[in-house]
Amino acid sequence: MMIELIQVNHQFAIGKKGKERVVPVLHHIDLHVKKGEIVAIVGRSGSGKSTLLNLISGYIRPTSGTIRVAEQDVTGLSEGDWANFRLAHLGFIFQSFQLIPSMTAFENAELPLVLKGIALSERKKRVMELLEQMGVAEYAGHYPGELSGGQQQRVSIARSLMLNPPIVLADEPTGSLDTDNERQLLALIRELNRDLGITFVLITHDDQVAATAHRTVTLKDGYLLNAYGKGAEYSYEA
Amino acid sequence: MKLKDQIRFVRQNMKKNKTRLFMTVLATAMGCSFLIVLASVGFGLQKSIVDKIVGDRLVTAIDIYGIEAHDSIERQLGLSQIEYLRSVDHVKAVTYRNQVRQQLSPSLDGSAVNSQGAVNVDFAAETKAGFALSAGTLPKADDEVVIGYHIRIPPGTKPNEEPPAADEWLGKTINLEVSQTQTDGSERKTTIPVKIVGVAEKPSREWRIDTNIYIGNGLIAKIEDFTQTQWGEQRIVPDKKNPEGYEPPGLQDPRFYNGVQVIADGANRVKGIGEVIRKQGYFIHSIADELEQVNLVFLIMKIGLVFVGTIAVLIASIGIYNTMTMAVTERAQDIGIMKAIGAHPSAIRRIFLLESAMIGILGALIGTVVAYVVSFAVNAGLPLVVQGFMNEKVPEGFRFSWIPAYLAALAALISLAVALLSGSRPARRATRVDVLRALRRDL
Repeated sequence: MMIELIQVNHQFAIGKKGKERVVPVLHHIDLHVKKGEIVAIVGRSGSGKSTLLNLISGYIRPTSGTIRVAEQDVTGLSEGDWANFRLAHLGFIFQSFQLIPSMTAFENAELPLVLKGIALSERKKRVMELLEQMGVAEYAGHYPGELSGGQQQRVSIARSLMLNPPIVLADEPTGSLDTDNERQLLALIRELNRDLGITFVLITHDDQVAATAHRTVTLKDGYLLNAYGKGAEYSYEA
Repeated sequence: MKLKDQIRFVRQNMKKNKTRLFMTVLATAMGCSFLIVLASVGFGLQKSIVDKIVGDRLVTAIDIYGIEAHDSIERQLGLSQIEYLRSVDHVKAVTYRNQVRQQLSPSLDGSAVNSQGAVNVDFAAETKAGFALSAGTLPKADDEVVIGYHIRIPPGTKPNEEPPAADEWLGKTINLEVSQTQTDGSERKTTIPVKIVGVAEKPSREWRIDTNIYIGNGLIAKIEDFTQTQWGEQRIVPDKKNPEGYEPPGLQDPRFYNGVQVIADGANRVKGIGEVIRKQGYFIHSIADELEQVNLVFLIMKIGLVFVGTIAVLIASIGIYNTMTMAVTERAQDIGIMKAIGAHPSAIRRIFLLESAMIGILGALIGTVVAYVVSFAVNAGLPLVVQGFMNEKVPEGFRFSWIPAYLAALAALISLAVALLSGSRPARRATRVDVLRALRRDL
């Protein structure tokens, strides 16, 4: 299994210290994502979709339960270990692209390589190769503010694929895109999944996006309704 | 993440707010400059005073005044004692100065040379000890000599008056006339021509006049061979006034040395060597003993000045802290994005520490340059002020401010340490930026 959540619970504490109120967000989540699957997590606002993705990303810690990613128990990883783990195994696509405004498209895309300590000559080659693949090579020297939403998202995808991660986590990847760009992005996700075997976990409201997935799971009020929903029989893993 | 990339990140970040960066670097430079200039006064005064005390003497030299002998002090040292002193650990050389005990009546080109006498030195030991010359070289052959700086001074010259240049005599020949009084009272004479190859350094004490002729062991051997007495001393034949006469020590008699100095292989060894030879009954004095107290007082003064100067750097550090805190706040989103894709907290911390270190280094560099300029201006201007307002003349070579390289390095180190200290808290804060809040632009 590429991603496994076993009896994961998560709750937030809100309010002032000493007078906190506990708000449960996720209840007894059991989710298994196989290698090479595209899984869409759908649900209404406040259902806990983003929290679920943040748990898999390591941005927050579960209150209880176990999370395994890429066959490694990541539940108790320290912040530093999580950083190394993310760099090695995870790629991220965000709704609002999350490009650093003061850096060019090239510099944004090369960030994972810089963090990994890859030499400049190798970086140049890899970044231009991926920007080319994403169709934004000609904008390498442009700042995010000078790019359209679709172009920014392509730079962001190039960044997420820079270190060949086996898993890409996408939070509302088409949320800021027009229909045309959305269609192109979903085609790209399918292509990457097919050609490179990348496992995708997509958070979405969008039926189009959900339809791209091999399997859709629904969250409602913090409960996973159909962990084995559409495409549960899907078996890609060798 | 490589250091080169971290520096690139820092440079990019620093360009974002140049005015703020400039003001912070300026404050650090002022603090660093203040620290250096303040401490340089202590260093300058110490150097001027110590130079005055040391004069011509070597700080590595230990003067041997004699050795304990039963109930008295033996002022002259024998060969075995010289050998012992040479064998002591960390002794680089043992030098001596023995006056040739006759006039030698030196003449050059037929004219008498105004010399106070000839002095026998061991040039091999003097080479190690660093015999200071103002021109020429030390003798290599037996018939070569070094002359005193003032040897050409005409009789009746006023003190402080510069003598004719002795180095014009380099390569010239001086005739030394050696006499021997025979047992019957008659005199036998011989002339030894010697070549001038070096001129001794000008004595730093303005009242000291050096008109010696320094001769080596080969030449003294020639003189003694002729006189058959130690140091060329003359025999006094008994007569009515002096019925006993005087027979100077012969070449077979035990030999004694005067003006013995032990030269240590480092100033820090002087104390140790002194302790060892004192235990053997030697009476000694070294300039290091004299300087110990003076240096201690100045050391305390310098520590105090550096401490006060460091307060200025600490005040500047408030600016660095403020700048770095602002930088972390402004870049919280960027930090969040970097953390979200896998930046290690230590890499984030290093970037911010590097930025504050660069502010510290820039400030230290500019501050050091400014401090050197101020120091130069003080040394040039203060004597004029003293003369103008107090009608007093500052001694020649007196320095109010002196910045040794290690003071500049120490100030740079303090600035760097203070900058790192100021940047450490903001850097730690940067590592704690909440990824989710940063991604939501909620910081």
